[in-house]
Amino acid sequence: MNDIILKFAKKGINLSPDAYKKIISTEDPNDFSTSLILKLKTKNYSKNDFISLKGDIVNHYIKELGIKTKNENKKEINNLNSLDNFNKEQPKNNTITKEQQKNNTITKEQPKNKENLINDEISNKNLIKINDKEVSPEFKRNLTKPNVNYDNFEILKDLTNQSYTSGELNNLVTYFNNRYQKLSKIIEKHPEMKTHQKISEIGEGQTDLNLILMVNNVRTTKNGHNLVDFEDDTGNLNVLFSNKNESVFKQSEKLVRDEVVGITADKRGDLAIGNNIIFPGVPRMPNTNSKCGIVFTSDIHIGSITFLEDAFVKFIKWINGDFGNEEQREIANNVKYMTVDGDIVDGIGVYPNQEKELAIKDITEQYDEAARLLGDIRSDIKIIIGPGNHDASRLAEPQPAVPEKYAKSLYKLNNIEFISNPGYVNLDGTKVLMYHGRGIDDFAIGVKDYSHERNDLIMEEFLNIRHLAPIYGERTPLASELEDHLVIDEVPNVLHTGHVHINTYKNYKGIHLINSGTFQTQTEFQKIYNIVPTPAQVPILDNGEYKQLKFID
Amino acid sequence: MDYFKRLEQETKDLYEIANKARSKGLDVETKTEIPLAKDLAERVEGLVGPEGIAKRIKELENDMSREEVAFQIAAEIASQDVDETGEKEAEKKEQLADQGLRTALAILTEGVVAAPLEGIAKVAIKKNFDNTKYLAVYFAGPIRSAGGTAAALAVLLGDKIKLATGLSNYKPINDEIERYVEEVELYESEVTNLQYSPTSDEVRTAASNIPVEVTGEATDQIEVSHKDMERVETNNIRGGALLAMIEGIVQKAKKIIKYSNTLGLPGWDWLKEFTHEKPKEDEKDDENKEDSSPKYIQDIIGGRPVLGYPSEKGAFRLRYGRSRNTGLAAMGVNPATMELVGFLAVGTQLKIEFPGKGTCVVPVDSIDGPIVKLKNGNVIKVDTVKEAKKIKNNVSEILFLGDMLVAFGEFLRNNQPMLGAAWCEEWWIETIRNSKKYINDNKNLDLEKLETEKLSAKEAFNFSEEYDVPLHPNYVYYYNDVTIKDLNALIKWLNSFKDSFIEGEVFALDLSYQKRILEVLGIPHELKDSKVLINPEIAYALLHTLTNNLDESKDSTIEALNDISNIEIKNKAPTYIGTRVGRPEKSKERLMKPAPHSLFPINHDGGSRRLIAEAAKKGNIRVDIARRKCPECQSISFSSLCPNCGTPTIKGNPKTRTINLGAMLKKASDNVGVRQVDEMKGVVGLISEDKLPEPLEKGILRAKNNVYTFKEATIRHDSTDLPLTHFIPSEIGVTVKKLLDMGYEHDCYGQPIENENQIIELKVQDIVVSTNCGEYLVNVANYIDDLLEKFYGMDRFYNATCKEDLIGQLIAGLAPHTSAGVLGRIVGFTEALACYAHPYFHSAKRRNCDSDEDSVILLLDALINFSKSYLPSTRGGSMDAPLVLSSRIDPEEIDDESQKLDIMSKFSLEFFEKTQKPYKPSELLEYVDNVGMHLGTPEQYENLMFSHHTSSIHAGPHLCLYKRLNSMPDKVEAQINLAEKVRAVDQRGVVEGVLSSHFLPDIMGNVRAFSRQKVRCTKCNAKYRRMPLTGKCKCGGNLVMSVSKGSVTKYLEISQNLVNRYPVSHYLSQRLEIQEFGINSLFESDKSKQSSLDIFFG
Repeated sequence: MNDIILKFAKKGINLSPDAYKKIISTEDPNDFSTSLILKLKTKNYSKNDFISLKGDIVNHYIKELGIKTKNENKKEINNLNSLDNFNKEQPKNNTITKEQQKNNTITKEQPKNKENLINDEISNKNLIKINDKEVSPEFKRNLTKPNVNYDNFEILKDLTNQSYTSGELNNLVTYFNNRYQKLSKIIEKHPEMKTHQKISEIGEGQTDLNLILMVNNVRTTKNGHNLVDFEDDTGNLNVLFSNKNESVFKQSEKLVRDEVVGITADKRGDLAIGNNIIFPGVPRMPNTNSKCGIVFTSDIHIGSITFLEDAFVKFIKWINGDFGNEEQREIANNVKYMTVDGDIVDGIGVYPNQEKELAIKDITEQYDEAARLLGDIRSDIKIIIGPGNHDASRLAEPQPAVPEKYAKSLYKLNNIEFISNPGYVNLDGTKVLMYHGRGIDDFAIGVKDYSHERNDLIMEEFLNIRHLAPIYGERTPLASELEDHLVIDEVPNVLHTGHVHINTYKNYKGIHLINSGTFQTQTEFQKIYNIVPTPAQVPILDNGEYKQLKFID
Repeated sequence: MDYFKRLEQETKDLYEIANKARSKGLDVETKTEIPLAKDLAERVEGLVGPEGIAKRIKELENDMSREEVAFQIAAEIASQDVDETGEKEAEKKEQLADQGLRTALAILTEGVVAAPLEGIAKVAIKKNFDNTKYLAVYFAGPIRSAGGTAAALAVLLGDKIKLATGLSNYKPINDEIERYVEEVELYESEVTNLQYSPTSDEVRTAASNIPVEVTGEATDQIEVSHKDMERVETNNIRGGALLAMIEGIVQKAKKIIKYSNTLGLPGWDWLKEFTHEKPKEDEKDDENKEDSSPKYIQDIIGGRPVLGYPSEKGAFRLRYGRSRNTGLAAMGVNPATMELVGFLAVGTQLKIEFPGKGTCVVPVDSIDGPIVKLKNGNVIKVDTVKEAKKIKNNVSEILFLGDMLVAFGEFLRNNQPMLGAAWCEEWWIETIRNSKKYINDNKNLDLEKLETEKLSAKEAFNFSEEYDVPLHPNYVYYYNDVTIKDLNALIKWLNSFKDSFIEGEVFALDLSYQKRILEVLGIPHELKDSKVLINPEIAYALLHTLTNNLDESKDSTIEALNDISNIEIKNKAPTYIGTRVGRPEKSKERLMKPAPHSLFPINHDGGSRRLIAEAAKKGNIRVDIARRKCPECQSISFSSLCPNCGTPTIKGNPKTRTINLGAMLKKASDNVGVRQVDEMKGVVGLISEDKLPEPLEKGILRAKNNVYTFKEATIRHDSTDLPLTHFIPSEIGVTVKKLLDMGYEHDCYGQPIENENQIIELKVQDIVVSTNCGEYLVNVANYIDDLLEKFYGMDRFYNATCKEDLIGQLIAGLAPHTSAGVLGRIVGFTEALACYAHPYFHSAKRRNCDSDEDSVILLLDALINFSKSYLPSTRGGSMDAPLVLSSRIDPEEIDDESQKLDIMSKFSLEFFEKTQKPYKPSELLEYVDNVGMHLGTPEQYENLMFSHHTSSIHAGPHLCLYKRLNSMPDKVEAQINLAEKVRAVDQRGVVEGVLSSHFLPDIMGNVRAFSRQKVRCTKCNAKYRRMPLTGKCKCGGNLVMSVSKGSVTKYLEISQNLVNRYPVSHYLSQRLEIQEFGINSLFESDKSKQSSLDIFFG
């Protein structure tokens, strides 16, 4: 423990007894000390200042850095036990653990501020560990035709068999112009953008500019300003966002290539200085007063040797009412819809040498196995299945539904609907936008301050820019359809994604942002990228209330 | 006269001519711009300077190792006293540190590679946050060309300079350390894998301990998140710095510790942490264990056939030895094998299982050729190309590919543990030489004659009994390749006809399944009217070897066989080498794309063909160009001396100017008296910093002589490198008279040269170029002569009408990534598409012979026409340019690869016996003789012998099948047909391999590329990351896609064809099917599908 005092002393920091106590009460005092010294020396004080460190300052940083103290930890576990009387074990992802933090500092997706570190919406309250208590040893398949009304089920958008691109050059022109026009229409509704002009219409002496523009490129100048190359269908314009104007500079930091925004700017000679950026954004959505349960799944990866079959079977037993305590079975009973947002199977040849990681090496047999498993789900639950990048579909988005050719056995089941990716459904009044989530990669890997862990923040950004995969030419292959189906035309009640294998939830302006995690353990690929999945945790909207069920110890 | 002196004298004569031409003032400089360097020290001075350093290097070389000299020089240069004060002083000190580092690095890289020029962007003296000063080394991308060790040594040199100049250590702040961590990770995920993937903590350790700042220029357009740092100038990845830190310091930690100890540099002990990391790499290997197949076969590429699965029976048999055209990574194969498989021409690359990774194939006809089964059922041994050609179309199976002649040096070079030697004639002879009887009988047996003599079977058996030696290899078959049970079955079959065998007559057996055993034993026989016929000699050998039934409980067939045989039967082929065809051979003129005749800018006025005459029709054109001005009479020109008054002119700054090209072209064409200028091509713009154009006359004369220029105004011809230590005058087309003129005196056995069939040792800087290189160089020589006569007003020099006229002329050899030309002399020509030269010559260029290629330049062309001012101003621009000419090859000063070249005429019995155990090659050095053992003595240049003769260095095909077939489907078809024939290859595996490692990834990659492609303007060539909303280029031109539909579907059809015709795994065929679905969905509108259905249903 003298090490700690010495560590601070070396840097000219004197610890008060209280401060010392606080520090050693943290989970990893050594680690925390390092961060603390760094914080103090880089932010509040200069390198040569002598500092006397008091307990309250330590407390402040414990909070700011989201550090766990040993006592706090215990308390939470106790809480869990006493309140819910569920499993003793602490749920893994209600807070970011120390390990993950450490990992975060290594990866480049290191979230910068406190908000990014903790997703507090998945709180203890709605994270439920399913009891290891089986009610009946046998599957109790509901084979009789259910007496359930699906009049309020509606497929709002399915792009299967609606691919009109022929891969010609003019398709590209049409595609991006369609994106521009669709998003323009949304931005136009903003009061500041009611009157706007085209770049070609800018007059010689004009000083005030109101334009709707697509981002072409964002650069940081030598002096630290942001210079953005914009365009519309009449030409190009460079707009400078000065770091002296903090609010608009911050906005401009968020700009990504190929998104469409409204800009107000001052024109001084040849240079335009940005004053405001208007993102398309979404309105607050009212509550849907849903009276049923919707279960969200994705990335099941049937056929992979890392597919968690036991947990998935447990999940099916639960949904059939054969598993969990009474309260938990009650939740299951209320379930009427289930979505599978891509990657139901692991597919074949998706990445090099995948063959070695496959338990089932035939794509049809993988879907057969999926049918065997999903076939055990009681038939009064409607299942909506969209494709992901592992499915047998084209890779470029939008992806048509998995063709019957490969998934014949699933097509045979009466309660299953196939849909494209993205796809849009109305489930008894709750409108769900299903998007597998390739576009998340573009942000998590390519854009500062975003991470795979906090994909809820990326989904929030999708809504703000009203597009699911705006960045062209990076990780998400886009088909140049005549219409840009990845634009979020109609605001949903639920935005459901998968792909990254990390559960997140956030309520943003009344819209549920849900990433439904996975039923696969960490893959080789994820190991390399230090992505820690949250397997076998299933989100559910139970009469509109978010809950997350855990089917693994 | 001594060979080297003679070369030097002739070189000096050419310098005189070049300087005289240059002195006319028509070029950029009035003197030739290539300094001549006799040795490493002079090369270093010529390449990076400073002036006079060569002398100091030579002084130090007397009692210091190369490394010590380098570090001493670095310290001496950097710590010089400076006269300047204040800001100037700091500047000067930085400059000296920079110079010191570059000079020292040049010494360490033998003054050949471009790394000291291009790999180091700059050296700076910067401030720590505690106000102490430290040294920062700025690395650039081309540091790669120096290799990991040299890159790490550059950092160590920085440390030495730091010490010598009293600077402090670099003290990185945490953000800077984390920046390295991020960059390494980003580099690996976004750019390319590093040879060694360090953990984040390893990067932290390295970054916080390296005492100089390892930084550098941005190399990739990828931004980091640790932006805008005070001391790191770029926000992009610093690729050069990462290479130096990771592939240098971290990966070569062991070496660096050793160097820091011997050079007395303290503070590198922390590196020990990295030397223990080795098990980690092993762990990695373990992970890959599932895929433990050797590297060469992991990727099977369309049109590049596999010739043998790893160590598979019937693949190439390992035979130790070196022929006059092997070594330095090139290996010998019987030309009959080359002819038979078609995909092997002289110089074709083979990827191999061991030793090393690759080799170039050269013909050696004194080793075993293939054994094949014909369509009529006969099995024959094919020894000559003639025979191979005759039976080629009747082959149903290639049972054995024949021998591969591998020099011991290849094992040494790759530190490959020894592998069992083939049982062959030269080994048999050694057993006799060492037999008691031979020694006691006073050796009155002519072993040399015996080695080549054809023995009858009876004689062979008698020899073995008499001298107590194993049976002659000619009568030993591949017994160990069949099971004991199989051999017993064969014995049973033979025995049932044994009684009918009459010595000296053909042995006939009724056809039975055991015929297959004869085939895999490699025993020639005929099939006629359901009778298997074996020739009397072979039959004698078989019946005398297989005398009894074998004990099936024995471990190996050979063991069981020796149990019953009273004469020792050796394992004929203990080692088979798996191979796959790699890069095809090449010999072709160097052409830029598109190829200009002149470095004269004409913007886009010359049309798409960039014709200067077409641009000239416009009269005035606007181009970005610099001109020269006479300070006396103010005349404007491009010449270094004023054409008006002869005063040296002053270079102006580049600017967009209007020039009257029409008038200029007319004048130039009048000047050299050439009317026909229609086909002369220029360039769009100059990419050099000075932007000085070449005189138009040079372009006119190049066009006239049908030669093209490269970026720095020389004319190049590229060829695959092959080694040669001895030649036969008749094979390379040189006469005895000419040879004597060139200073050759005797053949390799010391006899005077009298006829054109003697074997003569090649002098180390003499080269044998390809016929087409020779023919191209005749054009170059005519161009030079025209230039001398018509442009400079001097005498013609070469007067060459045919390639033979060029024998004896000097050239410069120059390899990519290097900046030093090596002086060579043409001695003859080869029909092969390759350049045969002494291994030293290739090593001096830092090449070996595993399919490297480089260029030759006619020396006078380089001396007259090369100018540094034409070099591209971009990073890497001075690579592959003759910045200095190395006139003499010293084996001590070239890449030490060539020091491992075998030079003995035979191996000893001990050597053969030791190969049967996996000794390290370094443990067998006492049994071999190589160049390294004669360094510094006259023997380093002469009496280098070879162990296996070859009657021609260009026997066999000169153009491999890959290049003869035009379309990919044809190539794949031929590849698969071959796979079907070669016993050592699994045809299905090849089909699956081509699909899974070439075609499918290609299809998938292209689909991906298609849906995120850029667009390009057809008019101004501008590229757009994404289609602009306007749908047009800014210049108004039309845009086109950069990835066409065709490139996506290119391999789809061939793949479908393969899947339909051959049994491939269901997994693969399904993968292809899914790709097809995806591609159709991208390229076929659902609307058109629907409408056609609509029509169908009426």
